[in-house]
Amino acid sequence: MDLFHDNPLLQGIRQMLGAFAANMMRPIAIKHDQEESMPWDLMRAAQAVGMTQTAVLDGRRRLTGIEEDPDPAKPKSQARLGVAASEELAWGCAGIALALGGSGLAASPIARMGTSEQKQEFRRLLAGNDEHGHIRIAAMALSEPATGSDISGMKTSARPDGDHWILRGSKQWITNGRSASAYVVWAQTDPAAGRAGVRAFLVARDTPGLVPGKKEAKLGIRASETAQVHFEDVRVHRDMMLGGAHSGDGPAGGLSDTKKMLDSTRPAVGAQAVGIARAAYEHLLERVRGGSLHGTPMASHQHLMFELAEMHMEISASRLLVHRAAWMADHHLDNVAEASAAKAHAARTVQHVTHRAMVLLGEEALEPGHPVEKWYRDAKIYDIFEGTGQIQRRIIARHLTGTNPT
Amino acid sequence: MTPPRRARYSFAMEFGLDDEQQLIVRTVRRFAERDLAAWAADADRAGAPPERLHPAGAELGWFVDAVPASHGGTLESRYLHTTRVLRGYELGRGCAGLAALLETNVEPALAVGAWGSEVARDAVFSSLVAGGLASFAHDSRGRLELIDAGGELRVSGKLGPVPALAVASHVVVAARGAVFVLATDGLARTPITPSGWRAARWATATLDAHPVPAAFVLARGDQAQAATAEMLAWAHSSLAARAAGVATAALDHAERYAAERVQFGQPIGKFEALIRLRDDARTCADAARLMALYAAWALDTGAPEAGDAASRAHVHAGDAVTRATIDAVQIFGGYGFVNDYPVEKLMRDARAFEALHGDERLARVLAARAM
Repeated sequence: MDLFHDNPLLQGIRQMLGAFAANMMRPIAIKHDQEESMPWDLMRAAQAVGMTQTAVLDGRRRLTGIEEDPDPAKPKSQARLGVAASEELAWGCAGIALALGGSGLAASPIARMGTSEQKQEFRRLLAGNDEHGHIRIAAMALSEPATGSDISGMKTSARPDGDHWILRGSKQWITNGRSASAYVVWAQTDPAAGRAGVRAFLVARDTPGLVPGKKEAKLGIRASETAQVHFEDVRVHRDMMLGGAHSGDGPAGGLSDTKKMLDSTRPAVGAQAVGIARAAYEHLLERVRGGSLHGTPMASHQHLMFELAEMHMEISASRLLVHRAAWMADHHLDNVAEASAAKAHAARTVQHVTHRAMVLLGEEALEPGHPVEKWYRDAKIYDIFEGTGQIQRRIIARHLTGTNPT
Repeated sequence: MTPPRRARYSFAMEFGLDDEQQLIVRTVRRFAERDLAAWAADADRAGAPPERLHPAGAELGWFVDAVPASHGGTLESRYLHTTRVLRGYELGRGCAGLAALLETNVEPALAVGAWGSEVARDAVFSSLVAGGLASFAHDSRGRLELIDAGGELRVSGKLGPVPALAVASHVVVAARGAVFVLATDGLARTPITPSGWRAARWATATLDAHPVPAAFVLARGDQAQAATAEMLAWAHSSLAARAAGVATAALDHAERYAAERVQFGQPIGKFEALIRLRDDARTCADAARLMALYAAWALDTGAPEAGDAASRAHVHAGDAVTRATIDAVQIFGGYGFVNDYPVEKLMRDARAFEALHGDERLARVLAARAM
């Protein structure tokens, strides 16, 4: 079975983004890693091929020129397209891929829960250039200093004040946190209601009290900006709250909806890990093909070749899990456990493959700017963000028995 | 040919430290905890050691402790690798990059002391006694080409990356067929800052028929092979000890953090999955320390398995430090990925332990096939 067999749409995406990754991302990947800088020029250029900062709102037509079948009962292809695209882009550079797609994190809740007025406002905030002449981007602010894995303990508060809500609190590890022009901020509107009281708000960058904090220096994915953001009594009009106010069991918009949204990104995150793993594996394979080891062809050594075989197996298995989870999403099936399995397996695979590739390459991989060393540093985040490996296993375990093991 | 049968281990069972060893461990531990650990983060960011490092290392006597007393050093009789491994473990707990600088003179000094001509001894020892540094490089992938020009060697190819080479006055090179000393004056060096041991003043060197005078050639042929094996045993046991120290530091950080960080209503350190993660990594780190000590003991007592024990200690310590540092980052979660917290540096530092002096697993595979 070829995952892409007989599917011209997936094949086309893979070819187009594979070429984009090879020609546009790879040549600048090391530079942005070393400088810890955003690839602003590429982010602008990528808009021409449909990778806009509002692409999530625009649906798949933007990238493929073809609309989804509007019949909600029919299978979709968005999730499978998403994983095929994510693998190719992360193969180019995971940090740059996250810079290109970071606004999608904020666009997702807008697309899912936003009113047409909110969608219009989001588009307005992302139109044109910012004060540095860069394209405008967005940030989703969910995690907090004290709430990483456990988002139910959220401290950021929203209290009503006439037609407005007043936001107060600090957010941590926010992608695009310093440079965003629009923020989707999660806050607790009703502490007594717990999870059901959590709501998201669309906030413009220039709103008084919104203070971007320190940019983090990170182990990997350095082309993607991560920063703290502080909200010091930020006034937001009630029309900019997503999903409607909390009332009893209330309309959509609570934390359980947020969790569903996070669940839906896991196959694509797993696909990114597959992309990095494939990059390291291909780099090693290329070296082994032509290389010799103390006078004998490298490819004649089981010591090397069995490790490559192992990498090949693990990468294939991860990709199959990722595509299964995406296929289930496209077919409107509950894929929570499968999405977690795909993400956790791919995270393990990418750490294993990048590490072993580096060891097998030897001292050369110590040199600054070596791509495999960069991929090794990029890989680690895949076991941490969007739900740690432990959180994924917890989700799978709960799916198996209905119990949350501690 | 069947290899000769021999017992895998010499008779040994003594885990206690004598008074002098205890004193050394206490002294180094205090230095590592108070000074090295405090300097580590800034040195990592700067890609350079603090100015205070060299005077501190000199005061502790570590730059000349393998230089014979007859040449101005402090080595009176045999060099004790057990002491060095005890020290290395503590230094590793402080900072791997700074530890690499503090330990860099040992292999060159011992090699020149064992096999060097009077000319080589005078040149290298006088530099070290005057406060200079030296490096040790092993051409594990056979990238250097050696041409014999009537006793003198002509060396071509790429050397490194090698720690301390950017600031060293000499580098002792173990290549296939020869062990020799290169003076770095006139050597085309490129200082580099890799992502691990960033403060360790790394460099690569490119040699183009670089001349090595006969007096600087320490060993040739079979003798060179034996000398290389011995130097690697010194280096492997020391690297293993430092790696075990880094692994231990990572797990100590993770344990403290896991006790404080509360998620889902309890400290994350109480979750069984994280207990297991720490516990398994701790087992590996403890084993690495013991294997390093055993290798050092074997070196000090002249046990026949010394080289093998050091090689295995190095491989295992590489695994252990990789595992411990990756797991520590995992336990720190999002904080583990950012530079404000200590563990992402440790994960970067772990890399050099595995890569330096070649892949011993591969070396043993090739040796077994050749037998």
